[in-house]
Amino acid sequence: MSDSTEQIKSRLQEQQYIATNEIATVLYLAEQLGKPILCEGPAGVGKTELSKAWAAASGRHLIRLQCYEGLDETKALYEWEYAKQMLYTQLLRDKLRDVIGDVNTLREAADRIAQEEAVFFSERFLLPRPLMQALTCDQPVVLLIDEIDRADVEFEAFLLEVLSDFQVSVPELGTIKAVHHPMVLLTSNNTRALSEALKRRCLYLFVDYPSIEEELQIVRLKVPDLAAQLAHQAVEMVQQLRHLDLKKSPSISETLDWARALVELNSHQLDKETMKSTMSVLLKHETDLIKARRALGLEGTTGGRDKPGIGGVNSDDFSSYGFFRRS
Amino acid sequence: MDNRIVDFIAGLRAAGVRVSIAESEDAFNATRSLGVVDKIQFQDALRATLVKEVTDRPVFDQLFPLYFGSGGPPLQNLTEGMSPEEKRLLAQAMRALLAQMRQAQQNRDRRRRDSSGGMNMPPGQLDRLMQLLQQLLQGNNPSSQEMDDLAHHSGMDGARDLTQQSRISQQMRRQMGMELLEKLMEQLAAMLAQLGMDQQAIKQLMEGIEANREALADRIAQHVGAALARKQVESFPDRKQEVSDLMHRPFQSLTDRESELLRDEVRRLASQLRSRAALRRKRSKGGTLDVKKVVRTNMRYGGVPLELKFKTRQLKPKLLLVCDVSTSMRSVVEFLLRMIYELQDQVASAHSFAYIGDLEDISDRFAENVPEVAIEIVLTSMPPGHYNTDLGNSLNTLMMRFADKVDHRTTVIFVGDARNNYNDPRLDLMDRVQRRSKRLVWFNPEHPRLWGTGDSDMLVYLPFADVVHNVSNLAELAEAIDKLLTGK
Repeated sequence: MSDSTEQIKSRLQEQQYIATNEIATVLYLAEQLGKPILCEGPAGVGKTELSKAWAAASGRHLIRLQCYEGLDETKALYEWEYAKQMLYTQLLRDKLRDVIGDVNTLREAADRIAQEEAVFFSERFLLPRPLMQALTCDQPVVLLIDEIDRADVEFEAFLLEVLSDFQVSVPELGTIKAVHHPMVLLTSNNTRALSEALKRRCLYLFVDYPSIEEELQIVRLKVPDLAAQLAHQAVEMVQQLRHLDLKKSPSISETLDWARALVELNSHQLDKETMKSTMSVLLKHETDLIKARRALGLEGTTGGRDKPGIGGVNSDDFSSYGFFRRS
Repeated sequence: MDNRIVDFIAGLRAAGVRVSIAESEDAFNATRSLGVVDKIQFQDALRATLVKEVTDRPVFDQLFPLYFGSGGPPLQNLTEGMSPEEKRLLAQAMRALLAQMRQAQQNRDRRRRDSSGGMNMPPGQLDRLMQLLQQLLQGNNPSSQEMDDLAHHSGMDGARDLTQQSRISQQMRRQMGMELLEKLMEQLAAMLAQLGMDQQAIKQLMEGIEANREALADRIAQHVGAALARKQVESFPDRKQEVSDLMHRPFQSLTDRESELLRDEVRRLASQLRSRAALRRKRSKGGTLDVKKVVRTNMRYGGVPLELKFKTRQLKPKLLLVCDVSTSMRSVVEFLLRMIYELQDQVASAHSFAYIGDLEDISDRFAENVPEVAIEIVLTSMPPGHYNTDLGNSLNTLMMRFADKVDHRTTVIFVGDARNNYNDPRLDLMDRVQRRSKRLVWFNPEHPRLWGTGDSDMLVYLPFADVVHNVSNLAELAEAIDKLLTGK
């Protein structure tokens, strides 16, 4: 590990974000090469958190653009505040009369007004949206373009244009160049395939579910009130659940929620009752809950007779996970 | 190092990863800025710049050690750490063992029967085995020439890509005699114990030999892998040509291997169609005024309609596929279903049915499984040959049980050759389907010349169809789907 990537890792850690070596390497490359990062991975693994942590760690301002289907230039780049312009026109009507003053023809009147055009199409009436804000901000900026896969193909093409030159031309005002070169992070949940051109432009980072050590580290960092042993048990449980064929595997944000729930409920160990009552924090689909309950041997609705789980262990205490391990 | 990166990129391209020139430039810049000292970092940097799809990552991970590996772990010289006494014992044991085995071999040859205690070996193999043991003891790394010779004898010349890696490696190991090594080691250990070497030293020696054996196996695998990767790069232009030729060959005439090649093509085709479909949908301007949008947009002008908004949003098509899965149609149906399910984000919903004598709903198979698995399940659960194709009866089932799926937004696609074994074509039902649905499309793999011949009811079904496509090969299928998605 070279010094610089080590530095990045420790600075992210100061911001309460545990980064893998790969993440640190890609961040370093993005800074050096000035390229955007395309971050893909399952939902809830910390892609948006990464941008927040990186902004704080590198002393930059975070600007966020949330994408959705139908997002277009006006909502993303800039818009003219028509209402404000109208209002000013109404209020300044008298002054306008003075300005036009003593002209005889319509053409001269129009010319006079044209001279004052700069007033009505100035930055005063320009409503900058996130992309423009990122370009014109006087502090260095991290631009987070969240869930780019929810926007449509045209928006991606438009984005490419902005990202390649980092300047935008407003017809009335001219070209506006970026004050500081913004660092760009795009996140995607992989619901659709992104256009080739956008992918070529960016560095690719795939953030996967963490390993058991990493997840334990994260839980200990973010939920320090949880007892060490219980944290270990909880993380092991989540890791095992990910091996099941679920519709939506629990990700790190769900693990953290669950850890906090366990703290709130003052649990001391991971027994059947706790699992039954808190499992819905981890799994958000009914089919998943049923599957998990079956695998853990938590069914007990028929006359109180509990069916044993895999391996036939029927104890209340889940601290020995032997029954749940797959070879 | 730069050359190696260039070779690596060529290797990636030959394995199907699409790396553009801009990306290779990024890779060079990245390695220049990070340096190549830290191997893991170097790998991460290359991966971030060259591989932009999750599905290509395993390919990257497979090829990286073949280009940037050190050839494998080195073998250790085990005799270095031994005392002179131990060396003497070892040499004695080896000689004794060799003599014993030669004797056993001669006895066997004389009796011409397998001896139960010894090892049955062809002549020459014994020498090779002893040579191997010697090599493992001394820790001699095999030379590149040796490996090439072994590979040549293991069928390397015929292989063209990395799928052969494990087979050839295994063959090479067998040639060297590694399969028989375990037994030999046992005998050696016994011999050494007999001669008086202490247990600890024997155990250490055996472990060392085992470690060296694994290292040697690794080196073989790496050597084979690197050679095959080079061959894959060389044969790449031929393979590309082959695939583009296969696109125009009729489905029936494809062999298994060719079908396999085409399946990978399907994904590439799907991504092409996807971007074209998406762009064309947006570009087409509708003519209808969208009153809601006009009012909303012009609130800022005090209600004066200065900006007009039209209904440009074309809804994504809803598809209903009715597929004939009798033997002659299977390959077409397989490719069609694969493409439709690759393009799922371009259709609002795709409901599929399969029929031979009767209709069966197969959509939930696709909901639960990846397309490859789902198609296998469908095709195996409806065995052909026992039933006669009967589209009329299938239509009956469709209208009785699934009529609600056919609505004014649905495009109904019939995939089949319309050969009904002289059963009733049920034109009345076809009429109903056509009226209820938005459009009725036929994909027929037979040549138009054959329509209406024999038991083909194609010509009577023809008037009910809005569009008919002849889909005898993959290129035509892609074109048909393209037209379908863009709403023609």
